Amino acid sequence: MGLLYDLQEKYKTISIVGMAKNAGKTTALNYLIEEAMDECIRLGITSIGRDGETQDLVTGTDKPRIYLEKDTIVTVPTQLYDMADAGLEILKKTKYSTPMGDLLICRVADSGYVQIAGPPAAMDTKKVCAEMLGYGCELILIDGAIDRKAIASPETSDAIILSTGAVLSRSLRKVVDETAHIVNLYSIPEMEEGAARTLIEENNFDDRIMLIDKDGTVTKLDLATGLGSSRFIDSEIDESTEYVYIPGAFTNSVIADINPKKLKRITFILKNPTKIFLSAMDWGLWRKKGMRINVLKNIEIAAITVNPWAPAGYTFDREALVSAMKEAIPGMPIIDVRV
Amino acid sequence: MKMGSNRRLANVKTRREVGLDYVMQTIDLNTPFGKKQLKEIKPFYPGQEDELNAELDRVERMVSFVKEYATVTEQIQEIFMEVKDVTYSIQRAEQQTLSVVEIYEIKSLLLSMRRLCQIIQKDETPLVPAEYVPADTMDLLDVLDPRKDRINTFYIYDEFSDEIRALRGQKREYEIAIRREQKARRDEIKQKYGIMLTPKFDIAVSKSHADFEKISSIEELELVDQDYMSATFQLKADGAVYDYMKQMDELNVKLEEEEERIRRKISLEIFKHEAVLISNCEKMGALDLALGKALFAVSRDCTRPQIAAEHVVEIEDGRNIQVEDILKSKGKTYCPVSIALKDGVTCITGANMGGKTISLKLSGQVAILTQYGFFVPAKKARVGLSNYMQILIGDSQSVERGLSSFGSEMEELKIMLDNSVERTLLLIDEIASGTNPVEGLALTKSLVDYLIQKPYISLITTHFETVTEKEGVVNMQVRGLADVNFTLLNREIQYAKRSERINIISKYMDYRLYRVEKQGQVPKDALNIAKMLGISSEIIEGAQKYIK
Repeated sequence: MGLLYDLQEKYKTISIVGMAKNAGKTTALNYLIEEAMDECIRLGITSIGRDGETQDLVTGTDKPRIYLEKDTIVTVPTQLYDMADAGLEILKKTKYSTPMGDLLICRVADSGYVQIAGPPAAMDTKKVCAEMLGYGCELILIDGAIDRKAIASPETSDAIILSTGAVLSRSLRKVVDETAHIVNLYSIPEMEEGAARTLIEENNFDDRIMLIDKDGTVTKLDLATGLGSSRFIDSEIDESTEYVYIPGAFTNSVIADINPKKLKRITFILKNPTKIFLSAMDWGLWRKKGMRINVLKNIEIAAITVNPWAPAGYTFDREALVSAMKEAIPGMPIIDVRV
Repeated sequence: MKMGSNRRLANVKTRREVGLDYVMQTIDLNTPFGKKQLKEIKPFYPGQEDELNAELDRVERMVSFVKEYATVTEQIQEIFMEVKDVTYSIQRAEQQTLSVVEIYEIKSLLLSMRRLCQIIQKDETPLVPAEYVPADTMDLLDVLDPRKDRINTFYIYDEFSDEIRALRGQKREYEIAIRREQKARRDEIKQKYGIMLTPKFDIAVSKSHADFEKISSIEELELVDQDYMSATFQLKADGAVYDYMKQMDELNVKLEEEEERIRRKISLEIFKHEAVLISNCEKMGALDLALGKALFAVSRDCTRPQIAAEHVVEIEDGRNIQVEDILKSKGKTYCPVSIALKDGVTCITGANMGGKTISLKLSGQVAILTQYGFFVPAKKARVGLSNYMQILIGDSQSVERGLSSFGSEMEELKIMLDNSVERTLLLIDEIASGTNPVEGLALTKSLVDYLIQKPYISLITTHFETVTEKEGVVNMQVRGLADVNFTLLNREIQYAKRSERINIISKYMDYRLYRVEKQGQVPKDALNIAKMLGISSEIIEGAQKYIK
């Protein structure tokens, strides 16, 4: 059986996340939809924001419309309903409103092209997905249009498919390195179940930086943000500090001034890997200095799609790209979406 | 006073101050129709006692309904939450063809009505007053739901016409035929050139690839996209496929026409039912509002007011809901107050912090809620309807408008006296307290002289005790701190934090009102309270010297 069949065994919802605008996310989505048709999987399709326009709204490049097979479950806003080429049976009018009218959940009654859109807020996507699963689809693909960080947050879906491609850089090496860096970040170990984790989860209601001692005492820092806060964090870390929980963005300025000896002793805990804003180089540097990070929830990458073509007009040799990627990220399914 | 549709029982400020606005905001409604009806709710006036009693009958039935059928109540609310206002679509259905989404929404509404009818009727007898039960619209539902599966989904189903079924079948056949044709040609290319096209019947090749020249020379393929490194070729459409595509286009036009025709037919059918649909919406709104009133009455322990022919407001153990809610949220209880008012002047006197103003507002609250057909927060109440109500009370708005408190008070007093007619309820809070006591007292006394001969219920809170000496003025007094053991209170105050002091005083305060038959001493608690709140003894003793 094919890739989609395997995914569908493991996950219920998968987000397609682009590493950058025009990384070939929509192409990847179309590819996966075709795969699903061949494998007879009943799909649900939704998105964050509007998608499926003929033109990409930001860069003006061509964007293929999405062709959906009969019985696919799809979310469409009221104003796009009449524009759909496919026949859509309305299953429910949801309470989520988009700039294009209230969101409808539809079943494709007659195959054809559809412009899809989903609820604008990432937190609503999960609820919509639950309803769509209730209408009998086996796997939901979520397409993100604008806010890539939001769709990548683990609350939205079970796993992601990362779309990467030539658009990232003119250097093939750099494309591979950056992609591998993201895969690396997203597979940071999750914090083990235990007393310390429970302490963090119980006390994490006001999004404050917390220090957890070996004996279980929790110290909260009265800082609005972790940005530029590293000296304060440093002064709070003592012999018995075991974990430092950072609720917001994890940047250089959070760790810059922490005493190297202290740094080796403690483990940083983050909500999820999207909070890390460190370049591949900085990341390697800090790791060498002994920085340890765990996350409360990591992000599963189900597969990577590569697009050797960049809208700026240059292309990579497709075989070279795929094999370089496979070498850098062993064990990960790599799909060339333009073959 | 304005009559007709512009007739007004009470102005905006009065409705706000006596707490009608608060009650209306508290009432939880779920349908757009119910919300609209609450917004447009009209009071009952003298002469409409029978209509008011009929409304109170309905509320009473609904109160026993929500108590007896808690689950059904919840089910009704669930249905109501899904209801959307589609009256605009219904009305425009005559002139214009409705969209599929609009038809879907009307079908949803019909299903809601059907479900509502099912749960509020037990063996054909309604559990709620019959005027809230929507009329049967099954025939229209059958039009919108030809499969009769009664599921809340909609599409121009094949069952709508034989024509559409035939056209769609034809379209599917063409699609399959095109695909079959292309697949055949893909196999042909594979055999002929050894090249496999993708399921989309295209192929992308790198220009450096050994086979590039060979592929680009295949005449069955056309170049659709290329850059300096690679090119994408697609299967050319041949004669047979072109024919099918042309026929498909024609078919699509016919399909669109047929769908439009079906939607037009459905739209006209919907418009035929306009009257019954609109009236059903109103019934649902009325049920929603009645349910809201009943749930309000149950949750706030309200009772049905008795409607009197004569102009009176009699309250036994009444509670000001707004104040009660605040106290409840702090874990305290409200001390109920009883009061009986009839035409003439009643004065509330008594200690500071004794709840005079709250009791004044309570009297207005019970009277106004009654006239709007609500149950009232009291153990028992008897109300004769008023033609006009107004409260005169200082508020921050007059200061914002740049008027002095006395200036705005006089402005409002003029409006109040100009508007008053027979059967008026006037609530006056410490008038003329913002000016010198000599003129203030004179003004208050003269106002009482004027009001006492009018057919109004006038309730006045005041600190001017001589006002109550006038023959015929009823004097209600707050018991206040009269029966308090001051040694105990002082001891508690002494060790309390400053912020706690006010709370301790209110704990000892007796808010109940007593009718003073014999003119006597008005309790003088002001200095006591000032002392307890920490004003220095130098000032308190100085003040006592002046009293003597």
